[in-house]
Amino acid sequence: MQRREFFKKLGFVAAAAAVVPSVSFAADAAAPKGPNEFSFEEALKAITGSKGATASDKIKLKVPEIAENGAVVPVTVEVDSPMSADDYVKTIHIFATKNNNTRCIAAHLTPANGKAMLATRIKLGTTQDVATIVELSNGTFLTAKQNVKVTIGGCG
Amino acid sequence: MSKVKSLVKIKPKTYKNGDIVKVDFVAMHPMETGMRKDKATNQLVPANYINNVKFIYNDTTITTMNVWESLSTNPAISISMKINGEGSLKVVFSDNTGSVNEKSIKIKPKG
Repeated sequence: MQRREFFKKLGFVAAAAAVVPSVSFAADAAAPKGPNEFSFEEALKAITGSKGATASDKIKLKVPEIAENGAVVPVTVEVDSPMSADDYVKTIHIFATKNNNTRCIAAHLTPANGKAMLATRIKLGTTQDVATIVELSNGTFLTAKQNVKVTIGGCG
Repeated sequence: MSKVKSLVKIKPKTYKNGDIVKVDFVAMHPMETGMRKDKATNQLVPANYINNVKFIYNDTTITTMNVWESLSTNPAISISMKINGEGSLKVVFSDNTGSVNEKSIKIKPKG
């Protein structure tokens, strides 16, 4: 009998121990997520469809390797393109792959731009890759990305 | 419908017809993501960010942009533009609260 009692108690303690961490896990899962949760892979799929994008050295992605202030990170994308009526860059997308909303900007260009260039400043929450997807007028997609080390996060 | 200050500049300052110039656009906008907490009240600051920018040169839309909240406070956007005659360059931008602002400058090529 004593042995049985002991196991009962042991089982109770184990159950209590099991309950406590599961409660804390639940609290973690309930932590607020961004309203626009949208990963880079999802964005890539939504933009390129089944085609996918090929890495290309035609794209010059200029981002600092180490950003001391994540609130202001300058990004410049230049694409080597003649920008003529039948061969031009249609769209330049810029993504911050680990931000809550990965999408930063999508610029729809026309041949009237003369040169495929887009420069802006973005916020980065943590150390992450900054990526760009470029859509050409012939329907192909190019991509480039670069890692940026962020010393102080720029969100919140 | 709040008024947002903005600035449009052409670089270099003097240009000729056919030149490819850089257009700098800066808006004085808070670009709130909607996820930041106000430290004094401990309440979330509602999202307020520019979501659309259009560059219109002599009634032709040369560039449209979709913008999300990851852009920095007081966002600066630069693009290229081919000068093609005298006229005006108008930048129209709207944010997610529904306010629409615009800024136009004159284009005067020399020579």
